[in-house]
Amino acid sequence: MEEELKQIVASLSEELKACNKEADILNVKSKYVGKKSRIMEILSGLKDMSVDEKRKYGSLINNTKKEMERMVTKAIEEIDNKSNITFDDTLDFDIKKGSLHPVTIVAKEVTDILKRMGFTVVMGPEMESEYYNFEGLNIPKDHPARDMQDTYYLDNGMLLRTHTSPMEIRSMENYGAPLRIAAPGRTFRNEDLDANHENTFFQIEGMVIDKNVTIGNLIYIMQNVLREIFKTDVKVRLRPGFFPFTEPSYELDMGCLICSGKGCATCKNSGWIELIGCGMTHPMVYKYGGVDHEVYNGFAFGLGLTRLAMMKYKINDIRVLNSGDLRSLEEFDIH
Amino acid sequence: MLLSCNKLKSHIKNSEDIDWLNIWDTFTLRTAEVEGVEKRGDQIDGIVIAEIKECTEHPDSDHMHVLKVDCGEKELIQVVCGAPNVRVGLKTAYIKVGGHIDGFEIKAKPLRGVLSNGMCCSGKELGISDDHSGIIELPEDAPVGINIKAYLPIEDIIVEIDNKSLTNRPDLWGHYGIAREIAAITKHELLPLELEEVPNDKEDLNITIKDPDLCLRYSALKLENIKNNEVPLDMQIFLYYVGMRSISLLVDITNYIMLELGQPMHAFDSRVVKSIEVGRANDGDTYTTLDNVTRHLTKDMLMIKNGDKYFGIAGVMGGLDSEILSDTTGVFLESATFNAGSIRRTAVSLGLRTEASARYEKSLDPNITTVALKRALYLIKKENPELEIASNLTDVYPTKLDVGHVSLKKSLLSTYMGLTLDDKTVEDMLTPLGFEVTTKKDTYEIVVPTYRHSKDVNIAEDIIEEVARMYGLENFSATPLKIESDGIEHETIFNQEYDVKELLATKYDMHEVNSYLWYDSEMLKEFGVEKSGVKLLGKTENNILRDDLSFSLMNIVNLNFKNYSKFDIFEIGTIIKNNENKRVLSIILADEEKMLESNYNKAKEIVKYIFKVLKNKDVTFTNNVNELEYYDSSFGKVINVNNEKLGEINILNKGITNKISKKKSIICIDIDFDKYVNIQKEDILAIEVSKYPTVQLDYTIILPDDKKYQDLKEILDTFKSNLIKKYSLVSIYENKYTIRYIIGSNNKTLEQKDITTFKDRFIKHLNDNNLNIAE
Repeated sequence: MEEELKQIVASLSEELKACNKEADILNVKSKYVGKKSRIMEILSGLKDMSVDEKRKYGSLINNTKKEMERMVTKAIEEIDNKSNITFDDTLDFDIKKGSLHPVTIVAKEVTDILKRMGFTVVMGPEMESEYYNFEGLNIPKDHPARDMQDTYYLDNGMLLRTHTSPMEIRSMENYGAPLRIAAPGRTFRNEDLDANHENTFFQIEGMVIDKNVTIGNLIYIMQNVLREIFKTDVKVRLRPGFFPFTEPSYELDMGCLICSGKGCATCKNSGWIELIGCGMTHPMVYKYGGVDHEVYNGFAFGLGLTRLAMMKYKINDIRVLNSGDLRSLEEFDIH
Repeated sequence: MLLSCNKLKSHIKNSEDIDWLNIWDTFTLRTAEVEGVEKRGDQIDGIVIAEIKECTEHPDSDHMHVLKVDCGEKELIQVVCGAPNVRVGLKTAYIKVGGHIDGFEIKAKPLRGVLSNGMCCSGKELGISDDHSGIIELPEDAPVGINIKAYLPIEDIIVEIDNKSLTNRPDLWGHYGIAREIAAITKHELLPLELEEVPNDKEDLNITIKDPDLCLRYSALKLENIKNNEVPLDMQIFLYYVGMRSISLLVDITNYIMLELGQPMHAFDSRVVKSIEVGRANDGDTYTTLDNVTRHLTKDMLMIKNGDKYFGIAGVMGGLDSEILSDTTGVFLESATFNAGSIRRTAVSLGLRTEASARYEKSLDPNITTVALKRALYLIKKENPELEIASNLTDVYPTKLDVGHVSLKKSLLSTYMGLTLDDKTVEDMLTPLGFEVTTKKDTYEIVVPTYRHSKDVNIAEDIIEEVARMYGLENFSATPLKIESDGIEHETIFNQEYDVKELLATKYDMHEVNSYLWYDSEMLKEFGVEKSGVKLLGKTENNILRDDLSFSLMNIVNLNFKNYSKFDIFEIGTIIKNNENKRVLSIILADEEKMLESNYNKAKEIVKYIFKVLKNKDVTFTNNVNELEYYDSSFGKVINVNNEKLGEINILNKGITNKISKKKSIICIDIDFDKYVNIQKEDILAIEVSKYPTVQLDYTIILPDDKKYQDLKEILDTFKSNLIKKYSLVSIYENKYTIRYIIGSNNKTLEQKDITTFKDRFIKHLNDNNLNIAE
């Protein structure tokens, strides 16, 4: 008897091993533990056995049957849990993605940096009055910047702003002093188009009004903005410049990152790239903006965002930016 | 502007102490941008002055000669020369064997069989002129045998300054002003100019200024008996190095003084000048300038008149008949100052920018006109000791420009500088630049010389600029700026724009474009659409500002259909409508015609999504009666939020679409971004979730052909039950609309009979409205 039971269990184990789908196991199950199976036969023969035999084999037979059922259940579980995934896992489709305009990305980057320094980002109109674009910025009637060939004048007496600087006056009017604003936006100059010249381009204006602002403060802010933009320590050079709305006025050059200042085509062999016009705000501008220069002073700067985007993405034809040609634009980032 | 360091040196005492090659980096930081520094004359050597002693014809050439030259050595040297001006007795430049020109070594070699030991040089070969017509002719007294570089200023350093960076510095448009800066920067002494005083014992010249607002000063001097019109070689070289052509002594001296002092001058033939009148031109007159171009004049242009005839365009260019001729021995020298703005406008409107007008438009100091005349007299007399001063130094100067007075508070200077300089340092910085400084307890009282006061130095901040640059901008240390801001964000527009852009690019894979503020004229013409917006002045093409952003994007759509069969683009930009700036978000869905319906639904979804996610607002769409000729008249939708119109969805009509591309559909979404920005985001409040389960019931309803979902919705909205949590459209197939109801109770679990009752009531409601459920 013991031999036979052992034999049955071994044989079940053998047959279960050979199964690889649930249906096979079910067949085996019915053969070994089904109504007509040998074990059931033995089990039903138990009642005809002697008391001694019953005592001797009863629990053995029952346990064997339970063990066999357990083996079948386990086999089914194993089959269920066995991975049966089959597909071509080497397919490789192109991703579908959108894009933001390069200037949008650069503008976001620069405004984020300035926001961390306490600047508020403001925006203003593209169609401007002569007052905000020129007069309020101490640009007198005879200044060459007012010429028709530089400025788009409109038939309604307005003009298209030639810089983002009108936002200096508007912000002073709106928010007073102290003040820290950054104003990104589109500006217009009446220029013929070529690879380096556009009539429509982006700038960002910055203005700080506070008490006891120094030229050293201006340098600090500029250096930090550039360091964050270019993610590296940037050499900065300030040299005299001229803008009617700042006094003193400076041109801020950045050490050329392409040649590390040795001189190359990008920096026209000077080792420096002219990047920012800046200066201490002119007293007349405070007067127009209604800020008391006896109490407050400060600085302003203008940075070419289009130029920055071209440097960042190595865009060599400025016309791409306003073309709307997705062959060029769709490759750009989103963040 | 080009500068000669030799010339600068001549104005500075002990100038040899200055490193003239390397001073220019400092100059860029202190004064103005230097664009280039170039050595001249360092490519030639081994050239000496030689005299031609013998000159015979070359036996085997019809133009060459065989020369014997004396170059200071024991023996005469044989040179073969092809120049036509060779002759015995001529002193010229001779380059020895082993010498260099342009870096090339000169070797002894036979020319057509005759050995030439070195060569004689033309001005061009020496790099000091463009003249290659013959060998250079040196004066008779030139010492034979000495190095040419010791005799002529061939070695020089030429510096190019960016004119733009001199815009506000009229004093720097001549070498003398630059020399003043260099002297101040390097702490050297500026030498005074050598002048010749005019005795003023003759008659005044007849000069009248009719328009003193345009002609600030007119000074003149008449000189006669000028017989030597030869230009000294060093002056010729100087003029050549700084980019001018040498013409004759009288013309060259006017140019020389302009380059030296920045003061333009004019030399008229004294035989022609009768009386000078400076006044406006008559509208419509024409006048032929020196360059033989006939110019059209207006009353805004200032003219020099001789008697009653035009003689020159003031400050811009002289006339053809006023020129110095080869037999001129008498000159009328003009040295005047004109209104800067007037000169600039005249030059611009004539398209004639000259060296003179470029300087005048910077607001020159009127006080240098007489200095320039005395300087000219000195220089001409050096070459013509016999000259005769034929007039008084005549000077018409209606309103004298005086020195300026500026008071600078020491405290203000300290604020800007971020440190306090001692008085002596400040005085030592300003005095060499020509400022007179009187130090008071709290202020510096400063007298500003007229050459700085004529334009750029008028207020305290201007003086601060001077101190800061002389202190050295590279010496300022970057100091952090404390934030005392209250952290208030004044505006959120920029971020709101960015959030929408980012959403469209990430969620809907769209591409952002930027386009021009004006309509493309070609496009309007092609579409046959007339636009009457605000116009750009002075332009005939692309001159109408856009009043519809989506429509203005159609040329970008047109462009991209050439390369893509479908694409989605957007822009947030300005339009000019009713004379006002408006910010608009436009989204264009461009695709195959067959995708119109699904894209139209997608357009609605996009709009709903934007407002839901970014503003937590629900959008409703109402039918739009579109009057614009280029949109489909029946399919427009108005986008409403809070019962206010926020924008539109339109389909470009078939006619215009076909002009772009056949079998396409173009859907335009425009959202008024000014209004969008002002919508407050609705707070999201937590919802109490019912303890009891809800039940989902789907009903497929058959709509008659003449009904749309909007009609069904109206019927569904009139079906009321406390159990309804919400209903929504989940799918449609042909005219079968599947609606999903979520029902539930807040105080019990629904039983089958509750659901059955709901269902029966719902079907009855539909039947009452002549609708049926699909089985």
